[in-house]
Amino acid sequence: MNIKCVIVCLLIYFFSFIYASNIEYDGYVHINLRHALVSSESPVFTDRGNITIQSLRTGSSTIQQKALSQSDKIKLRDLSAANKFYQLKSIVTASDGSQVSFVSTIKACMLVESELSDILSVSLDYSGKVITVTLAVASTSTCEGATVPIDKLKEFTTSVFVRHTENGPVPDTATYIQKLEREREAKERGEVKDNRSFLAKYWMYIVPVIIIMVLSSAANPDGAGGAAR
Amino acid sequence: MYTLKLSFIKYLIVASFFNVSFSLYEDQIGKFDWKLNFVGNVKYGSIDSSKRLIVATEENVLASLNLKNGQIHWRQILETAPNQIVLLYVDREIITVSGGKGTWYVRGWDLNVGSLLWEWSFYMENKQNFYWILSKDQLVNVAPVIGSHLEVTQYDVRSGRNNGKTVKISTPWVSDLSRCTTAGVYWACLSSDDSSGQLYYTDVLAPANQVHMFPVQSLIGSAPGRVEIKFLELSDSNLLLIRNNAARYIHLKPDLPHVYPYSLSPKAIAVANGDQTLLLQMILNTTTKKYQIQTIELQEGTENVFEMEYNNEAGVASVITAFCKGSACRVLIKSNDNSISLLQLPGGKASWTREEALSQVVSAEFLELPLSELDASIEHEFDSVSGDRFSTFYNRIFSQIRQLLVVLTGKQGNSNIGLVRDEFGLHKVIVVVTSVGKIYALDSITGSTVWSKYLPNVQPFLVLEHQKAPLFVQRSARYSPLAAQCVVLMKDKITGHGVMHAFDPITGEVVQDLRLPYRIEQAMLLPIEDENHLKGILILSDDNEVNVYPPSAKSIILKHSSSIFLYTANSNTKTLHGYNLHQSSNDKLRVTSTWDLNLGQAELLAVNVRPSSERIHSQGRVLADRSVLYKYVNPNLLAIATLMDDPIHKHVLSIYLVDGVTGLVVYSVAHKRVAKPIHLVHSENWLVYTYYNARFRRMEMAAVELYEGATQSNSTSFSSHAVSQLPHPETQAYIFPGLPLAMQSTLTERGITNKHIIVALSTGAVTEVPWAFLEPRGPQGTMNPEEGYIPYIPELPIPAEATINYNQTIPQVRGIEVAAARLESTCLVLVYGLDLFYTRVTPSKTFDLLKEDFDHWLIAFVLIGLTAASYITKRLASRKALKQAWK
Repeated sequence: MNIKCVIVCLLIYFFSFIYASNIEYDGYVHINLRHALVSSESPVFTDRGNITIQSLRTGSSTIQQKALSQSDKIKLRDLSAANKFYQLKSIVTASDGSQVSFVSTIKACMLVESELSDILSVSLDYSGKVITVTLAVASTSTCEGATVPIDKLKEFTTSVFVRHTENGPVPDTATYIQKLEREREAKERGEVKDNRSFLAKYWMYIVPVIIIMVLSSAANPDGAGGAAR
Repeated sequence: MYTLKLSFIKYLIVASFFNVSFSLYEDQIGKFDWKLNFVGNVKYGSIDSSKRLIVATEENVLASLNLKNGQIHWRQILETAPNQIVLLYVDREIITVSGGKGTWYVRGWDLNVGSLLWEWSFYMENKQNFYWILSKDQLVNVAPVIGSHLEVTQYDVRSGRNNGKTVKISTPWVSDLSRCTTAGVYWACLSSDDSSGQLYYTDVLAPANQVHMFPVQSLIGSAPGRVEIKFLELSDSNLLLIRNNAARYIHLKPDLPHVYPYSLSPKAIAVANGDQTLLLQMILNTTTKKYQIQTIELQEGTENVFEMEYNNEAGVASVITAFCKGSACRVLIKSNDNSISLLQLPGGKASWTREEALSQVVSAEFLELPLSELDASIEHEFDSVSGDRFSTFYNRIFSQIRQLLVVLTGKQGNSNIGLVRDEFGLHKVIVVVTSVGKIYALDSITGSTVWSKYLPNVQPFLVLEHQKAPLFVQRSARYSPLAAQCVVLMKDKITGHGVMHAFDPITGEVVQDLRLPYRIEQAMLLPIEDENHLKGILILSDDNEVNVYPPSAKSIILKHSSSIFLYTANSNTKTLHGYNLHQSSNDKLRVTSTWDLNLGQAELLAVNVRPSSERIHSQGRVLADRSVLYKYVNPNLLAIATLMDDPIHKHVLSIYLVDGVTGLVVYSVAHKRVAKPIHLVHSENWLVYTYYNARFRRMEMAAVELYEGATQSNSTSFSSHAVSQLPHPETQAYIFPGLPLAMQSTLTERGITNKHIIVALSTGAVTEVPWAFLEPRGPQGTMNPEEGYIPYIPELPIPAEATINYNQTIPQVRGIEVAAARLESTCLVLVYGLDLFYTRVTPSKTFDLLKEDFDHWLIAFVLIGLTAASYITKRLASRKALKQAWK
């Protein structure tokens, strides 16, 4: 009984896992990354690299990013020192040829402090279409401007995460009905099995009553004596 | 034995949660709550006798009002929009025709009690304009086909029997339906909209269907200007030809139309007075600025003018109906602010006015009241820190004398009409903005109107198919002597440009009324106060210009420019954009795009943020093993709901939780084969949403809760930029046995009290669902009672005791507004729809309040008695000790 339940639970868990990663259309996505290293009202985006996600389902990707040029390094350092924002434009080309571009902004000092190690999060909707590309830096705190030696800014080490839309929860009626059944069964079984004597069953109610009676009679022995007189 | 005990414990837990739900004793009805009943925007009206007025409204309400005081006798609510009442006829019974979307209902109602007497319905395929005529127990449906013919179908009005055929009348002259009308049994059209055209009319019921044609010039002469045709209300076979705002009364006859020589206003109506017909119209006397009613007897032409004692800043929109008996008349008029008034002739008095705009509330806000003058003066005593000893002494004595005076006289020398803050913060002012542009302030204790203000020519914004008028509280009444200040944003009816109205919510005094020269794209209240404790408002125009009100707040924006973020959601392009202001300079504020979200083809249904005033008391939840699961509390989180058409799953609902600063999708979930209606509630670290499951044909409610895990990434301050780990979501879904119209979560002062979700149902009930019922039970699926969870039940119960409006049905609910009282246990609730309902809810019961029937006298007597007894016994004991010593 118990083993069966474990297997069922495992299966349910497994299925839910499959469901979560089951997008209907697998495909590849090509992302062209461009960044702006000078803070201005109409930013000028220069080429940063390319990312190809071969399979949206598994999330495997190849990343091609050039090392930063000396002038770019200086720009980035200045951006960080002035506590400005680093902007990234991702031009996403889907497998059907459609092109969408997304802007993402992070604090330049956080990028610099992490020595150009960043996270690119590619969010998909339920059908596997890219809805947004967000750049983030793994950190537990923010900074208000930072100066970092320029030799630490060499190359971007980017990790790409493809984030699927999960399937929503459904009311779990089956388990509930099973649980009710189990409870009913247990109750039935319990009623059949329970053939102990009256005292064995209800001792916990009888004992306190006796104790109280004993205590109360012990508390006023003269009262009882008075009544007898 | 063990299982039995366990299930008993479970029962106890469940039972205890049922008891948590607020319920009312019979004698508490109306003690904490009030309800205002409305009929809506009146469309048709008919005065039946000297006692009754029957109205039909845009909100699909049929009601009978008392002619003496305007109170509702009875009210019947028909199908909701887009169904419309298109015909109202009152005789011995009331006949209505209502419907839309192809199905039409014909109903007969009892005059006295409003009960349904008979009903029949029919389906009409073509969805073009219909015209309805009721003539001698025959209901005639006229369906014009432009440039071709009229399809005329007759039905017996009571049984719905038709004679089996549709008559086609050839009318090639019907070119534009705006120039056509029905007039009694006639169908009349103008061939062009100037004086050179022809007037065509035909009797749709006559067997011959002869078409009459007369040049407009021969009827009303030639003059430049647009000519319009209008059916004259409350008359038979009569119409008005309007040119340059002057109307001529034309009586249609089979041979020649008769033109009466009176110059009328386009809003004139005709009233039967015995055998006579009386023309009645309302005129504004330009010199005295007073309204007059002019009556003209149709046959004799005798004119009478009555001065009206009626005043309305909004102006009169139309005369709806009138009833005359001899020289006495009752006239029902509707004003531009949708209020209706009954005027008496010849006296000229207004008997009553109903503020029907309150049935069209689009936004509401609870506002704290100012301190009473006395309390304020006590507070000001400590204002002058540098004050010398003498002045402080003087202040102290002076305020104490005033306190003494108040105690002696029992009244406060107060200017602000009893609107003062109470101890528990239960007395508030509710400011509501209505879709016609009238702002009301309501007293939360009584529901009475404190003040009202009409903004002419404005309309609310249409945000994701909902009418919205953003209402911001710039300064609460906390900072006396500075008055509170609110701003409401609407748009101009004609130009679509923004309208900003800044006012004092307590007195209604206008601070500033601005017509902005641009359209509003987004508006936001700045979280930072200036030196006058005023929070600025940032308005983004449609060409991405940033404007600030008051302009002095610009310096604050410049100071915090890199930490002010805003977002826009565009339902046409299905995109969301994030902006910040870090490129702003001294001369100009600029927005810079920071993130984009492209929803593709999905329809944007809702964008929801947490209430800014919400406070979260507990940082995490304690698990059975004494470890803490920390909540993911992101104040910048947006909850977005979209619905996408799908070839396989029909419709797919997607819910996204997006960080408003970085645009990072924190969590996303999709539900397949679901349909509208969809409602979202976003609070603390959780989100609750409802949707219709088309596969199982039921409403479902799902809850998502976000946790950071066993460690808290940053306990001191939250930053959206620092992403250390993505939150771990826990979800669970339930069957909800009801159709929600609006949802809101309760809000309390410090967030200690449990959360309840207030759900307005289509049945007219407003119910509370405890969050504890919805809380996801975690991945372990813990049925473990030690975790403090209620055992999972797939179908949520809606117990009758959880209905906060007991037996008072609230129809057509559009929204729920909540506010925290100063009592932690209490949350104030305003439910608005056709009616307004106010009450308080206490999700964790009134733990911080003594019971009403608490026996103060008993406890006082016991205390005094005990004190006295202790003194007496002390004395006795000392006497005894003394005696003992002498022995």
